[in-house]
Amino acid sequence: MEDGISPPAPGVGKVVSRVHGSTIGQKAVMAVSGILLIAFSFGHMVGHLQMFLGAEKYNAYAHFLQSMGPIKWAIRFGLLGLAGLHIFSAAQLTMRNNAARPIAYANNKWLAASLGAKTMRVSGGIVLFFILYHLLHFTVLLVGTAGFSGENTFPLSQTRLLNGVAVPVFVDNVFQRMVVSFQNPALALGYVAGVGLLSLHLSHGIQSALQTLGALNSTYRPFFKKVGPALAGLLFAGFAVVPLAVLAHVIDLPK
Amino acid sequence: MNLTLKIWRQKDKATPGKFETYKADDISPDMSFLEMLDVVSERAQQNGQEPCAFDHDCREGICGMCSLVINGVPHGPEAATTTCQLHMRKFKDGDVIVIEPWRAAAFPVLRDLVVDRSAFDRIQQKGGFVSINTGGTPDGNALPISKKEADLAMDAASCIGCGACVAACKNASAMLFVAAKVSQYAHLPQGQAERSRRVLAMMEQHDAEGFGSCTNFGECEAVCPKEISVRVIAEMNRDYLRATLVGTDA
Repeated sequence: MEDGISPPAPGVGKVVSRVHGSTIGQKAVMAVSGILLIAFSFGHMVGHLQMFLGAEKYNAYAHFLQSMGPIKWAIRFGLLGLAGLHIFSAAQLTMRNNAARPIAYANNKWLAASLGAKTMRVSGGIVLFFILYHLLHFTVLLVGTAGFSGENTFPLSQTRLLNGVAVPVFVDNVFQRMVVSFQNPALALGYVAGVGLLSLHLSHGIQSALQTLGALNSTYRPFFKKVGPALAGLLFAGFAVVPLAVLAHVIDLPK
Repeated sequence: MNLTLKIWRQKDKATPGKFETYKADDISPDMSFLEMLDVVSERAQQNGQEPCAFDHDCREGICGMCSLVINGVPHGPEAATTTCQLHMRKFKDGDVIVIEPWRAAAFPVLRDLVVDRSAFDRIQQKGGFVSINTGGTPDGNALPISKKEADLAMDAASCIGCGACVAACKNASAMLFVAAKVSQYAHLPQGQAERSRRVLAMMEQHDAEGFGSCTNFGECEAVCPKEISVRVIAEMNRDYLRATLVGTDA
């Protein structure tokens, strides 16, 4: 072929330029970062379901995460990087796609697109603000902190020896912060709405990511068209049940 | 049947277009959509008006020349049908029908409803073929190909290059077209030698022409008159990523 494109020598620079410089490459970046963020979300959800196990278990879990030191920071920066790549690729592709149809149709009918698909940009944009608020709320402790107890106030039942005397291990009372926050209906319902939009985003995103990575064929695609939204729904249920249980006093502060 | 047509009229590439309304009275339900437009154009001409330009050729649903977005759907309301094979019996008496050209930056309007689809030709020229040395005709069945693979290749090869996928895609992406042209060779032994180069070169041209990117909505598949499945897009993505990461042609 006289196209001047030689078979790619698998060099890192060439791979990066080809991924960055092509629509399929940029979409692959979106898909891979999206899938990794989804994987984190499921872990995050399972972690928070431990709210149902009570303050002791939940605070011990939170303490375990906080005690991971450099690993914790690697995961945090990794997640920020993935979110950054996801948003950057989305912005690049969106600008390209808008330019690809300068004159809109006067009459436009949707034949196949799901609600989740049609609202990807809106849901993604709102979820970004939801996550930013969520981080400022529970990680940075800057907003919505009314009623939070201070650091290292919860005594675990495990003890440590101090000068030969067994004293309780005091850890962050994250359980108390969650309960106090979600007893505020505005914060609880805002959270439910946020994870609802995330779920809507993923109802298209999961199957779309797999299709982009070429993982689907005529058998798997119909399967994942059902499984993708089901997984998104599962994620919603797992996240939303915690604030709703707090509102219903199923989860409450220890008396 | 008596119909009202809202047709996009545009003098040339540079002049902005607009909709104009036409009465189409005494239309037979047995006419094809293009025959209806023929009648309307002929009447316009008799009245000293400029007839509306639209693309057509074989009128048998196999050449890929006819186009038209009819009431928001490329090739109109009937599934798996080109505009030339669409009949007026699919409409009701008194209907208002909005007729627009394919809308994409990569498909500039030349006049009225006629768009320039030569971007597809340029993509094809980058690799939508198998390079062979001429010589004696090979023996029949010298290259064994399974029925399943032959069917997959043939399904992809049924693409007529009409561009309805681009017209239907909200991003004006031509991924279904390119993927069909890539997939038809990816399933055949003759296509293997240039498999990596083909997908890279054709997608490079796709991007250079200003088509959008695929967001996997499936609108293209829904309007394709040849019912080409988006499985070809997944196959092409797989081939493209493999070619990018590790691929050298065998």
